Amino acid sequence: MASRMDDRTIELALTDLGGRLAYPSVDLWPAVRERIVAGRQPWWRSLIGGLRLPAPVMPIVATLVVILLVVLAVSPEARAKAAELLGLRGVQIIKVPEVPGGRVTLEEARAQAGFTVRVPAALGDPDEVTLEPVAGGARVTLVYRDRPDIPPSSQPGISALVVELGGRLDQNVMGKGIGPGTTLEQLTVNGGLGFWIAGQPHQVFYLDQRGQFQQETLRLAGNTLLWEQDGVTYRIEAQITKDAALRVAASFR
Amino acid sequence: MERAQHGDVDAYGELVRRYQGIATRTAYVITGTSADAEDAAQDAFAKAYFALDRFRSGAPFRPWLLRIVANEAINRRKAAGRRATVDLSVAEGRPSGDTALSPEAAALAGEQREMLLRALRQLRDEDRLVIAYRYFFDLSEAEMAEALRVARGTVKSRLSRALARLRTVAAGEVRLDG
Repeated sequence: MASRMDDRTIELALTDLGGRLAYPSVDLWPAVRERIVAGRQPWWRSLIGGLRLPAPVMPIVATLVVILLVVLAVSPEARAKAAELLGLRGVQIIKVPEVPGGRVTLEEARAQAGFTVRVPAALGDPDEVTLEPVAGGARVTLVYRDRPDIPPSSQPGISALVVELGGRLDQNVMGKGIGPGTTLEQLTVNGGLGFWIAGQPHQVFYLDQRGQFQQETLRLAGNTLLWEQDGVTYRIEAQITKDAALRVAASFR
Repeated sequence: MERAQHGDVDAYGELVRRYQGIATRTAYVITGTSADAEDAAQDAFAKAYFALDRFRSGAPFRPWLLRIVANEAINRRKAAGRRATVDLSVAEGRPSGDTALSPEAAALAGEQREMLLRALRQLRDEDRLVIAYRYFFDLSEAEMAEALRVARGTVKSRLSRALARLRTVAAGEVRLDG
C-alpha cells in the first residue's frame, strides 16, 4: 500500500518527517570563535608557532622567549650567562631589524617586487627600502627616519612608513580588525578605492594577487591612509592629518 | 584589548547564531550523525569567515553558507567512505502531531515515516540534500539554485529525479519487507 504513495502524499510525508528528525542542536559559536581567533595568528603564536603546547601555556612561553631575547640583547655577558643557563650555548642571537625584510635599493625593489613601486615625492627619498616575500607576492616598505614636519612615531627613529603590496582592497572586509576608538573613512585616492584610518588600528585586510584574503598588521600606532592603484595597495602610516596624508599620496610617482 | 584585537569577530557571532540551526540540520541530513554534522557545520562557519571576501556584498548569505556547509558534510562522508552508514533518525519523545489520528492511522503514519527514513538513508547524499532543502527546510527555488549552484530550471529536474529515486528505493523496501 505504501508503495503506491502518490506525489502529494510523499511530499506531505517528507515535510512531516523533516520536522521530526533528531537534529543536533548545539551552540557552535564558542568553538567557531576559537578557531577564527586562532586562524588570525596572535603575536605569540607566530613567535613560537613551531611548538605544540597546550593553548593556555603558549602566551607564557612566548613571554619568556621575549624576556630572554631582551636579556640577550642587553650585554654580551648577560647573553653568555643566559645562554648557558638555558642550555643554549652555540645558539647565535641575531638582532631583529626594526622593519622586517631584506634591505634593498629602490632599484632592486622595483626590479623584484612584481608590481609598480611608487615613491612619494613629498617625502623625498626613503632612508631605507626593504623587500620581503609575502603570501602571493612581495611587500615593499619605504622607511622615512626623520621628517621635520612629521612627529616621530612609537617606533624609535621612524617618522613614516610606506608599505606597498601587490593586491586589492575590499570594502567589505576592511572594517575587520578595526577596534573601538578607531574611525574608518572610505575615500577616493588617486582615482582608486581608499581608506583613512584614524586612531589605533590593529590590522587591515587585502586581497593578494591570487585573490586570497591576507591580513596586514599596521606597524606604527598612528594614522593610516591606504588605497588601491593599478592593482597595488599603497599605504602610508604616520602621525599626520588626513589632508597631509592625501597630499603625500598625491605625490606618489 | 581582546575586543580591540578581534574587532568585530562578534558581529560574525551574530551571523553564526542566526544560521547555525539550518547549517547543522543541513549537515545532519548529509552525514546522518550528530557528531559529524556539528563538526562539518563548525568547519564551514570557520571557513566561511575566512572566505568572507569572496562573498559578494548584497548576495544572500544563507545559500552561500549552505553551499559551504554541504561541501564540508559531503567531504566528511567521502572521507569516511561512502558505505559508512547514515544513521539519520527521528527524534525520540517528540510531542507527536498524531494525537488527532486514530491509533490505526497513527500506526500507519509511523510506518510510512520509517519507510521513508530507510529510503532516505540509502539515497545519494546529493539527492538527500535537494529533498531536504525543499521539504525539510522549505527553501525557495531561488535559494536552492544558489545553494546548489545550478540554474533555477535545473532545481526542478534535480528535485524530481531525487524524488523518483526515493520512490524506487522505497518501493524496493516494501517488497523486501514483503
